[in-house]
Amino acid sequence: MRVVESRKLEDCFDGSSVHWYRFDCPWTQAGILELKSLGKIEYFADFPRPFFRLRTDRGMFVQGICGEHTCRVILPREGNHEVRRDWESVFSSREPADKTFD
Amino acid sequence: MPALSMVYLNNAALGWPTAPGVAEAVQAWLTDPPEERGRTAAAHEDVAGEARRRLSKMLGASDPERIIFTLNATQSLNIAILGLNLPPGSLAITTVTEHNSVLRPLERLRAERGIRVKIVGFDSTGALDEDEFRKGLSDGPRLVVLNHASNVTGRVNDVGPLFLAAKAAGASTLLDASQTAGLIPVDAAGLHADLVAFPGHKGLHGPTGTGCLYVAPGIELDQFIVGGTGTRSDLARHPEEMPLRLEAGTANGAGLAGLAAALGWCEHHGGEAREEVARLGDRLRSGLRQIPRVRVFGLAGSQGGATGVVSFGIEGLDAGQAGYILRESFGIVCRTGLHCAPLIHRAIGSSPSGTIRFSASAFNTSQEIDEAIAAVEQVSRCVS
Repeated sequence: MRVVESRKLEDCFDGSSVHWYRFDCPWTQAGILELKSLGKIEYFADFPRPFFRLRTDRGMFVQGICGEHTCRVILPREGNHEVRRDWESVFSSREPADKTFD
Repeated sequence: MPALSMVYLNNAALGWPTAPGVAEAVQAWLTDPPEERGRTAAAHEDVAGEARRRLSKMLGASDPERIIFTLNATQSLNIAILGLNLPPGSLAITTVTEHNSVLRPLERLRAERGIRVKIVGFDSTGALDEDEFRKGLSDGPRLVVLNHASNVTGRVNDVGPLFLAAKAAGASTLLDASQTAGLIPVDAAGLHADLVAFPGHKGLHGPTGTGCLYVAPGIELDQFIVGGTGTRSDLARHPEEMPLRLEAGTANGAGLAGLAAALGWCEHHGGEAREEVARLGDRLRSGLRQIPRVRVFGLAGSQGGATGVVSFGIEGLDAGQAGYILRESFGIVCRTGLHCAPLIHRAIGSSPSGTIRFSASAFNTSQEIDEAIAAVEQVSRCVS
């Protein structure tokens, strides 16, 4: 699972800490649960499209939908460059989509 | 991934779908031969003229030429507020419920021209604080700007008596009808509004890129744009007569064709549509109020159902997060945050993250409203 694209999202506020990511393959339940090494992961399997969110000790918040290629990441105001770099490094070390998440 | 049907509840931002006939009218404008509809007097006699006549009827105005076309309500409000040429030191009165399309032009006048701006809050019943408002009138304001309905709570303001008092105090009156045009009768004279601004793409269900400003007889606005008009080309200066005084350049013909079609639909179906929106808004409001951990931000005595707008929050859940879940997991398209009306949130208790806003239209169904309520119930029960 690799990052294909990312960009800042605008919202009602300054928007500087909200990012959108697109990956080369969709999130799967297994792939979502692997995120538990980063922090507290919650997975809502009973929703019409299963929803997950991740909160980390460093103040990062991730939301996404199982089956989607994307997720929304809110970075902490302080030190967000390091947090972002670490988040993206998770995916640079993951196996390509056709090997892990099929 | 399971297919998800969409429930569109973001009509306070963008009315969807457009009214029947709008898409066809836009397409016809774009595809029919253009030779009969150049930027000439003839153009004013087709879609622009038709839209002006229909808008004039909708506003109870006697002269269609007092209506100008803009891109949206924001542009209309800017033309009105900045175009009144308020002298330095003069007073403008508005309210905490206003959109940034009103607040920011006023702030610009404050910063650049030293205009004083008084912002009126609520009283204990949730209505505009009339005592504070009337106290402000005693200071001789030159301009009073009120919205007809809040884009956050949906509350409809009883602007007629307030504008009447404002005019008696010597003020020009500007009505922001962005949330009511097409949904609630907007009788400019009956409401004592000198200026009325609204978009074509919300309650009127016309195309984006269409907005309107009604300028009552006797009100003169500075020209903000001059240039080609297709008529009176021999004059060195831009014509003074309305609507050309405030319009220049090639019009948004495709948009106006769609707007004219939308207004035609409203003329025939507007009454039923208004009733349906009020009914769906009430259904939304009462359904959401039944859900534990959900707080509906309706002010006491609010008649908000009439516009179909309902703002709420889920205890323990940020509005932006809730909106993401509702949209991405349940297919409920809504809006979250401050809704470009930053001052109201402190007053209603929705600071700092704002509200989740559902806004229904006559094109929604009871089943969709019930699906949205059920989604909120499930989110509020499972996520915190």
